[in-house]
Formats: sequence, C-alpha cells, structure tokens
Amino acid sequence: MNQTPALHIEDLTVAFDSRPALWDVDLAVPEGVLMAIVGPNGAGKTTLIQAALDLIPRAAGTVRIFGEPVARARGLTGYVPQRGSVDWDFPTTVQDVVMMGLYGRLGWLRRPGADERQRTLQALEQIGIADLATRQISQLSGGQQQRTFLARALVQDARLYFMDEPFAAVDAITERAIVTLLQELRARGRTVVVVHHDLQSVPDYFDQVTLLNVEVIASGPTAEVYSEDNLRRTFGGRVAGIARLTEEAPP
Amino acid sequence: MATLEALLIDLLLRVTDLQQLNAILGDPQATALITGGLVAFAAALPGTFLLLRKLAMTADAISHTVLLGIVLTFLLLAALPGLEADLNSPWLILGAALAGVATVLLTDAIQRSGLVREDAALGLVFPLLFAIAIILISRLADDVHLDSDAVILGEIGVVWADARSHCLQDCQPLEITPDDPRAETGRRCTNCVELDIGPRDPAAEFEEYCLNCGSYTAAEAWRARLVPQAPTLVFWPRAITSMLLVALLNLAFIALFYKELKLGTFDPALAAALSLRPALLNTALMVLVSVTAVAAFDAVGSVLVVAFFIIPPATAWLLRDRLAHILLLAPAGGVLASLAGYEFSRGNFLGIAQMRDLLLMLDEAIGLDGFTEWNTSISAAIVLMMFLFFLLAWVFSPRQGLLLSLLQHRARQQHFAEQLLLGHVHHHQGTAEAASELAHAGLHQHMGWTPRKTQRVLARLRLRDMLQIEDGILQLTARGERSVRRFMALRGTSGASPAAGR
Repeated sequence: MNQTPALHIEDLTVAFDSRPALWDVDLAVPEGVLMAIVGPNGAGKTTLIQAALDLIPRAAGTVRIFGEPVARARGLTGYVPQRGSVDWDFPTTVQDVVMMGLYGRLGWLRRPGADERQRTLQALEQIGIADLATRQISQLSGGQQQRTFLARALVQDARLYFMDEPFAAVDAITERAIVTLLQELRARGRTVVVVHHDLQSVPDYFDQVTLLNVEVIASGPTAEVYSEDNLRRTFGGRVAGIARLTEEAPP
Repeated sequence: MATLEALLIDLLLRVTDLQQLNAILGDPQATALITGGLVAFAAALPGTFLLLRKLAMTADAISHTVLLGIVLTFLLLAALPGLEADLNSPWLILGAALAGVATVLLTDAIQRSGLVREDAALGLVFPLLFAIAIILISRLADDVHLDSDAVILGEIGVVWADARSHCLQDCQPLEITPDDPRAETGRRCTNCVELDIGPRDPAAEFEEYCLNCGSYTAAEAWRARLVPQAPTLVFWPRAITSMLLVALLNLAFIALFYKELKLGTFDPALAAALSLRPALLNTALMVLVSVTAVAAFDAVGSVLVVAFFIIPPATAWLLRDRLAHILLLAPAGGVLASLAGYEFSRGNFLGIAQMRDLLLMLDEAIGLDGFTEWNTSISAAIVLMMFLFFLLAWVFSPRQGLLLSLLQHRARQQHFAEQLLLGHVHHHQGTAEAASELAHAGLHQHMGWTPRKTQRVLARLRLRDMLQIEDGILQLTARGERSVRRFMALRGTSGASPAAGR
C-alpha cells in the first residue's frame, strides 16, 4: 500500500458563512477502487466532491490527486454532477452534451473535429444510447439523462471519477447499466468516487465506503467499515435501510 | 473611429455614388432603419445567452445602470484637468461597462446575504443606481445634452444629426494670418475694462486685431466662405459607427468563445472543473451587454433595449432547438423586425394595411376625435413588431406552437375515439349480444356518445375501410381487425417501463 492514493484529502474544512459543511475531513482513496460516499441529507457529500475538485473554496486543508495539487490534475479527473444541476431545456443534443466532456482536453478556442465526434460516438455506444445521439435533450427520460452524463464523463477518459448520485431516480435497467459501467472502469484500473443514497446496495456495488456526516465517521473497505454501529453513528439511529444488512452480514 | 468610418465610406463609394450616399446618411428615416437593424443584430447575440441563463431581467437592469456609469465618468472627466468632458468620449463606454459589471456583482452580493431572493436583489439594485444617475443628471449636468426623456425612449429619429464630417476632395485646411488678404480686421478697446469707460469715451484707446484669424478645416473654411471651391464631404452619423463596432465585437466574441460560452451556460460546474473559467466569461458577457446597452442608448433608450436583447432570441428558441441555429436566427429575426417596425412607424403594417386608412375607418365608425395621423416612435414600433413576430412563432411554430399542439391534441382524441369504437366491435363481435350491442341504430347509447359524434367516427372508419355495416350490424373488416390488434399490443407494453426508452 505504498502506492500514491488516487485522492488524498487532509484536514479539509469547508464552511458556508462560518457554518461548517465539512469538518476536518481526512480521506484516502486508493487507485482502482469503487468507493461510495454515504451519509444523511446535509452531510456534505456533494460539498466533499466539489471541494475535492476545487469548485468551491476550502476554509482549510489540502487535496492531492495522484499526488498533485488539484489545479495540475485537471486532466486526470472526471465529474458527473447531479442530474438536476443543469437545465435540460437547453437547446442542444445528446451528442453535443457528451462532446462537452472533451472541451477541457481541447482547451480554449479550438473547435471539436472528426476525432472528437468519433470518441463521442464510441462513448454513446458503450453506454447504450447511440440511437439517441441527435435527440434533443429535453426529450430524454431521467435514466437517459443520467446515461448522457455518464457518457460525457466517459469521453473525458479520466483516471479518477467523481459521480454525484448517479443512481438517483433511475429505472432498474439504467441502474444495471451504470453498475456495469462502474465495473468496466474498475477493470481498466480507474478510480470512482460515488455519492450514493441506497444503503442496501452499497456492499454489492462498492469495494470501499466512506460514512460521512460533516465529519468522516468511518472510511475503508466495505467489509470492514460498513457495520450497523457505524451506520447508526452516521445517521443518528434512524436507519431503516440496513435491516437486511444486519441480517445477512453477521460480523 | 474616424479611420473606420473613412474605410467604410471608401467601400460604400465603390457601390454607390457620393450624392446617393449623402442622401442616405442625411435621411432621418434611412439612418433610423440602419441603426435599428444594427441594434437588433448586436443585442440578439449576447441576448441569446442571457435568455438561456435565465438572466433576461439582468439585461433590463444593466441597460438602466449603465447610465450611472456614463454620468459618473462624465463628471469625472469634467473635474479632471486636461481631459475633455464630451458625450462621445470613449471613456464613457468604460464607465458604463464598469457600472454594468457592478450591477451584477452587487446583486450577487445582496443575494448571497440570504436576506432577499435573486429577483428582489435585482429589483433593489438597479432602481437605486438608476435613481442616483437621474439625480446627478438633473442636479449637475443641466447644461449637457442628456435629458430623462431621451434616456428612457431614445432618439433613433435624430441619429443622423450627430454626424462626423469626412472630407474627400479639396480638403486643404486653411490658416488665416493677419497678412492674408482674406483676413478681416476690427478694432477693440484696450483700456475700457480697466478704466470702466465706454468705447465712445475720449480716453478710450484702441488697437487693431484680426477677426477671423486661425486655422480652419476645409469644411469650416467653406462654411465661412473663405474658399471658393466647396470640399467634397460625407456626413457619417456617429451612432452607426458605434453600433457597427459593438455588433462586430459581439459577433467576434461569440464566434471565438462559442464552445466555452455554451458549456458555461449549460453546466458551469463542469466548465470550472475543466478549467474553462465560466465566471470570467460571465463577466465578459456582462461587459458586452453593458457596452451594447450604452451604444444602443442614443437610439432606443434604456427601457426598450431589453426587448432587443430578449424577444428575438426567445422567438428563435420557439422555432429551433439547437443553440447554433438560435444564434443565427435571432439576429436575422431582430433585423427583420426592425425593418417591419420602421415601416410600421410610418404607418405601413407589414405591407398589408395602412394605419392611416385604419384610423380613418375607426374614426368614422366610433369617432376618434380626429386622431387620424399615424405618427409614432420608431423604437416603440420596432418592439411591437418584435412582439408580433414572437406571437406568430408561438402560435405557428412547427416545434411546439400553439396551433400544432391543438391539432395534435385533436388528432389524438379522434384516433382514440376510433380505437374505442373498433375495440367495442371487436369485443362483442360474434357473441350472443352482438345484435343489440353492435346495432347501428342504438350504437351511440352503448358508447355513451352523442349521435353526431358517433356518426362522425363511424364515417371516418368506414371511409378508411376498417368497418362495414351489414343488415344494420357493425362488422370489422380485415384492416379494422389488424388495427385493433396493433392498438391492444401497444397498450399492453406501454405501461411496463416508460423510462427505459430502448
């Protein structure tokens, strides 16, 4: 384990108007794992991702991505924001949204060309929505919107992905497609950090888990840290979703 | 500016002659038309992005607050030694741009305080800045050509009057010295003021001096009748140049940063994650909006300019659902609306009707107290036409127009009624109760429809060979049978997974 972690966060505090959203967070994500971030509403899950990507200012702490400061690791990270964070009435197509993932690589002023179109189509095929390429995005279902965002992350060809609630309100078929994609990414040695809300599926989908409620309650391999006790400490005793977990996974 | 104008004149003179050019540039209506078209073109480009960012009212706020920037810069120029306070100074543009950006920053700051919402924050900031500007104008800048009416409505009709003269031929500037034969001399009293006496007082002393010495441009020399040959002049309205420059600036900005603006508008978080500086681009966009608003100020004023920013893009968005298409269509539509609006202000309604005839008719019918002269503000007429275009797009848009959805709704209902009737026949055909259920005569009672509706649906189905009536009993044809099957199969799966989409 002397390898550089994909993501290394130390002493991270983020505050909105002196009200801490994250408090003294230490976190290390080894390369090549799928990690879930789990916690109640307002636990700072999205804030953690945004701070790790330098999208919001930190009050204190450092973030390293593959040992580099965030600003120098922009090409290594991919980001899938929450589906609701954008306006799906925007006048554009699925293909166009996916191609936006390549804008960072293109840099200022350069226009997407044949190579970019090729990569876009590949990503659309891989994620199973090639037939929607020229569809206006306002006509997509929730699951199709999520897949569009995933395809956009895929073309970024990053080593470390952050996904904010990709499983939120998608149908079973899309959920399976996302899981398949996550496993493919892991097989290719990529690291994925996923904000997740379905407590039951955590042990099935993820190697590692971080339990977060403003502070890190526990973080590590799912088998070790995903215990009823830790969940209770994270959610404050209101954990209906872990009934199955405690039945099926005796320590 | 002057160089650009000279270049334009040179280009224009290749396609037209001097007399015609001067006739156009000196014609209030032609210049109003050109200026209006340029304002519409220039504003629609950043306006499209404002609309997509849900910042339509920010355009309205900025178009007001730039006035404060202008006034403050003007007063600053007047106070600073060595600088000339002039309403054509390029510094005013800078001041206006700063005021526009300040509006957005101040609104953001108030909004972030969490005390009021975004719309209220805007409503707090811009009247405040505008009010300060109005007070400053009325208190301090009384002697300047900046009055509240002009600020609010603009004076597109007098754009031609504020022109710069360009000399093309016989342009020698003239220097009149006291020895020149054209110099006129006069006498003036040298000690009158000192001794407090009149020039007729015997103690008054006089000296001779030159009345008209100094340097003259060719145009001034001709006007003062100092040269026999008239120079060849072109009078170029300043507003046309500034609007043209702003239009080109906007075009260049959006052409260069199209990709970055698109991503920054659609998903600013990703744009930031990809180091594409969405905040910086947003500020740049606000600067462009401010500069456009200032340039358009003279022509259309601060109230109506928001229409030039917003209505053409909103119209284009109703018609097309690709950003690139909207960006092409909006300026084109804006220019077209300017043309129509200009004609409308002269009483010509889209070439269909003359407002004068209409007013005369109304006068005869209901009596308008002799109000039969149609003479209206050009900028207001343009805005009316923009709105009319919007209305037409809303009703007739092939994408999501009112008319289309009405027709589609009707068609869906008709189709459903047909399927219901076919299903009814399919259900009872060949059963014991067929004779009563499928009797042509009592059908409307079984369906619970009016006899008229029943006959209409029946007629349509018979016309399409899906249903026939034999001995007063309804029967499905082979086509009808297939249609029923298809409809039922469709209904069977449609409920299962609506979101899967594949």
